[in-house]
Amino acid sequence: MKITEEVRISDNGFVFNSRTGDSFNVNPTGLELTKLIAQGHDFDTIKSLFLEKYDLDDLTFEKDFYEFCALIKHHQITSQEDPLDFK
Amino acid sequence: MSKTKITIAVTGLNNTDNPGPGVPVIRSLKESTEFELRIIGLVYETLEPGIYMEGLCDKIFQIPYPSAGSDELIDRIEEIHRRESFDVLIPNFDAELFSFMKNEDRLLKSGIRTFLPTIKQFQERDKDKLPEYGEKYGIKVPASINLGSQNQISEIKDKFEYPVMVKGKFYDAYTAYNTEQVKESFNKVSSKWGLPVIIQEFVKGTEVNVIALGDGQGNTIAAVPMRKQYITDKGKAWGGITLSDDKMLEITRSLIRQTKWKGGMELELIKTVKGEYYLIEINPRIPAWVYLAVGAGQNIPEALVKLALGQEVAPMETYQSGKMFVRYSYDIIVDLEKFETIAMNGEI
Repeated sequence: MKITEEVRISDNGFVFNSRTGDSFNVNPTGLELTKLIAQGHDFDTIKSLFLEKYDLDDLTFEKDFYEFCALIKHHQITSQEDPLDFK
Repeated sequence: MSKTKITIAVTGLNNTDNPGPGVPVIRSLKESTEFELRIIGLVYETLEPGIYMEGLCDKIFQIPYPSAGSDELIDRIEEIHRRESFDVLIPNFDAELFSFMKNEDRLLKSGIRTFLPTIKQFQERDKDKLPEYGEKYGIKVPASINLGSQNQISEIKDKFEYPVMVKGKFYDAYTAYNTEQVKESFNKVSSKWGLPVIIQEFVKGTEVNVIALGDGQGNTIAAVPMRKQYITDKGKAWGGITLSDDKMLEITRSLIRQTKWKGGMELELIKTVKGEYYLIEINPRIPAWVYLAVGAGQNIPEALVKLALGQEVAPMETYQSGKMFVRYSYDIIVDLEKFETIAMNGEI
């Protein structure tokens, strides 16, 4: 999974897709996740970073992470050749 | 570098809720680093807002509608030219384009340069010929049929699923969800714009546009894609944003290359959720949102003037994506004397 080349992410959580013209606001957690994905971290790394930083269990993280990924993919913020690929 | 002094005549100063491109064209030209401008505004109506905007035009003249006859219009343009001696004329209304294209040689003989599409280029992109156009140039277009009379409305259900778009030959478009609505729209459109009325397949997606300039040799001198962010009830963009969309640029360049398009143009496209692009219309002139392209880095009116003057213009390859425009309305207080002058003398 990759952040689409045309997507710009601001430090305040404003995400703009210059290919579609869509813009979104993400909350601080969403911004952190988006940035980690943009930096090319895989699912396991992101999970361990989040579990270390927040009071969170494995299952909740996975559920929320996949939900978030599905949402940003729907809005063409990410591209994914294999739908099961979260690397 | 010293600037070249030049006089340019511009029509379309009707900056209303259905804005003509004249005011933004002038604004763009005034940002030119190469020209020192004198602007002659040409208006049809005495209440075109551009007449009353301070610092926009140096001189304004009223001209007769093309419907009064092409010769009357061109005679008046030549008369103004004899007095003001302008170098280039930029027409901005769909309805007047044909008259100016038809009289291109006559205007040139009088010393008035234009940079307009050829009559063939203009006519083959007519809305009622769009399917043939799409096929000829390899662009997806929505399926459509032309209705010459109300009796043909019954044919729609055999060919399309509702909703459909009901469009006038030159202007106006309505979405119709059933036969009754088609009849209603047919009457509205045909009484205003005549026949045929075009029934077009409804393509669901996002409306996106490209403003472009062709040099008449097949080269794309400028192209900037935009998505309307705020649309008025007349379907006009009241806010928009430039896009970074290679596919839209590719479609534009391919079309200009094949048609050898000469002049400004606007492609109106629908982008479906599958990422397919359908061409729904080509406007054969600079659109009213041209100043966004200037803000994004491509001064299309300036390039058009250079082409009209026979100068070489290198293609502009880059622009900034994510540049926005937001339109606004503004009340100008006008003294009656100014209105009186243009209404009585036809010039100001």
